[in-house]
Amino acid sequence: MRRALRVELRRGTAPFAAAAMLGAGVWMLAVHPDDWAGRWAGLANYLRTSLLILCALMIAAGAWQSGRERRRDIDELIASTSRPGWQPLAVAWLAVTVAGVAGLLVAFAGAAVLIARVATYAGGGWWWTLTVGVLALAAAAAVGVLVGRLVPLRVAAPIAGLTTYLGLGIITYWDGTPAAWLSPVYGGWAVYSLVPNRVTALQAAFLAALTVLLLAAAARQRRAVLLAGGLAVAVAVPITTGPGTHRLPADPAAVELVCTSSGPQVCLSRINAFLIDDVTAVVQPILARLDGIPGAPRRAVDQVAQPAGPSIERDDGAVWLNLDYQSTALGGLASRKSLRADFRQVTRARCEDPSGTRSIDQRVHRTDTLATDWMLDEAAAPDDEPLTRLRALPEPAQRTWFAAYLDAAHRCDIPALIRLGEQS
Amino acid sequence: MTTVSVDGLRVSYGKRIVFDDLDLELGVGVHGLLGPNGAGKTTLMRVLATVLRPDRGDVRLLGHHIGNPSALRQARRQLGYLPQAFGFYPRFTVREFVEYFAWLKEMPPARIPLAVDRAIERVGLLERADDRMKHLSGGMLRRAGIAQAIVNDPRLLLLDEPTAGLDPEQRVQFRALLRELGLDAVVLVSTHLVEDVVAACTRVNLVDGGRLVFTGLPDELIAAGGDDDSGDSPIERGYTAVLQGARTAPR
Repeated sequence: MRRALRVELRRGTAPFAAAAMLGAGVWMLAVHPDDWAGRWAGLANYLRTSLLILCALMIAAGAWQSGRERRRDIDELIASTSRPGWQPLAVAWLAVTVAGVAGLLVAFAGAAVLIARVATYAGGGWWWTLTVGVLALAAAAAVGVLVGRLVPLRVAAPIAGLTTYLGLGIITYWDGTPAAWLSPVYGGWAVYSLVPNRVTALQAAFLAALTVLLLAAAARQRRAVLLAGGLAVAVAVPITTGPGTHRLPADPAAVELVCTSSGPQVCLSRINAFLIDDVTAVVQPILARLDGIPGAPRRAVDQVAQPAGPSIERDDGAVWLNLDYQSTALGGLASRKSLRADFRQVTRARCEDPSGTRSIDQRVHRTDTLATDWMLDEAAAPDDEPLTRLRALPEPAQRTWFAAYLDAAHRCDIPALIRLGEQS
Repeated sequence: MTTVSVDGLRVSYGKRIVFDDLDLELGVGVHGLLGPNGAGKTTLMRVLATVLRPDRGDVRLLGHHIGNPSALRQARRQLGYLPQAFGFYPRFTVREFVEYFAWLKEMPPARIPLAVDRAIERVGLLERADDRMKHLSGGMLRRAGIAQAIVNDPRLLLLDEPTAGLDPEQRVQFRALLRELGLDAVVLVSTHLVEDVVAACTRVNLVDGGRLVFTGLPDELIAAGGDDDSGDSPIERGYTAVLQGARTAPR
């Protein structure tokens, strides 16, 4: 078996599968480093999201490999040999799977090296997320093997790959339903979400049973088809009748806050704590500028620790920072601008008119913008007279103006907000 | 000693009947299988290679009844087959290709490396053993096909048009190999080249229209021909005479 596997790994579709998966893996990691950088769980989740494309590639590779006998007109010669037909088929599948997974893991190992340098949280069962992803790739290769056996066309491989991509893409629209657990592709939920162990175990069992089912069908092993099919259904039932993929609980250890000990307080979740120095450098000057102003936030906190609720409360003294996509590949802050923009929650008046809709009075909006620009110490444009006038006031008067703005915004005093915008 | 026995064989492709009630006995030695195009040579080869299931009839290979799955597997372990349309994996080297088939034939792993080298050497391809199949000429590919067929030292060797593409020198070497193989195995060689039969075969079987019309020694086939029969050599004249006789005789 090892001898045949070695030959298949060198001369079959396997080397091409490895190259394709390596290339696809590198490309996908390079396109969205903000999805995975700095977080182990992010890397595992991103692999599962990437399966939309990676499964399609594996299916195409499996189909090309298993269609080889027919393409090369060698199926009759093989049929005359004594080894049971499932064995060469299994070796061919294994070679494609091993090579494809190895190619992908090389790409992801590069990302892992970058993460290992900075990561501040390694828990959360990300390893199992990754393992189920690998099982999904094995199942995808098995789908390809079956397609290659059943469809005697050269175009079977690319068409099967494309169909898989489209099919898995459509299934992502069902994200939230329990049936979505049967798809290996994650809908892209937060890195601190915790997938229940029961679900992970059932997913793994389902994919393993599905793999055996597909290979048995390709090898025409009726008894194994029935056994694996029965097992796959038995595992799928509790998945599809259980809780859905929405409202996943947060990993308590991942969202545990890590705070700065000097200056205005900045607190990030443990999973995002690798960004704390970069975030602090951006956030503390703003907090320092607001220090002592009545109603202004006194600290900045990672949004993952935000209490559940319909809206962000402003008067609890915290400004909530969204760090979900805030990391470069090397673990630095991806966008200072986005981080500063999180402070706009302080200067956005949430006033509703009696009909229940949010006020869109343009004069109030201009006052909000003025307050934001002052708070963030934005450079004034030459024609921005209100900001220039506000900056021309003595510092205590500026702070008094901002305190009055926060008070009016909190009370939704529209005339006061309009007046503040006009008097500056 | 009979080691291949076919009794009452019927094979058809849809409505076209290729063989009906064919009987055949083969013992150790090199057997030539002659016949015009469409006579059923390849069909008979495919039945004996166990890749074509007959409609009816009893086929026993090396004492194993091929209708029984475990006996079929036993028979296949001792079988070597070179089909007329020989496919190959172009990216494999000759050694890897033969090694792969040794594995498919369930040879003991420890025996494989030596057996592979020996098979490649016997067909004269040892110097090209590490070349990829796609870089071989047509004749070399045929020899690689023969190497995979003999790698397991088969007791039943079925070669369908094995000399197609071989140059005269290679054919001479191949005939010598056939004679060597036929010392302790049943070798059935389907060919259009009657001179190969004279040079290498111990017995000749001639099929025509789905019937076995002659079985005997090459000399007996030669003797069946007369000076008036068409053909450039004695065996060609014998071949023509037997065919014409079979076609004019009442069925």
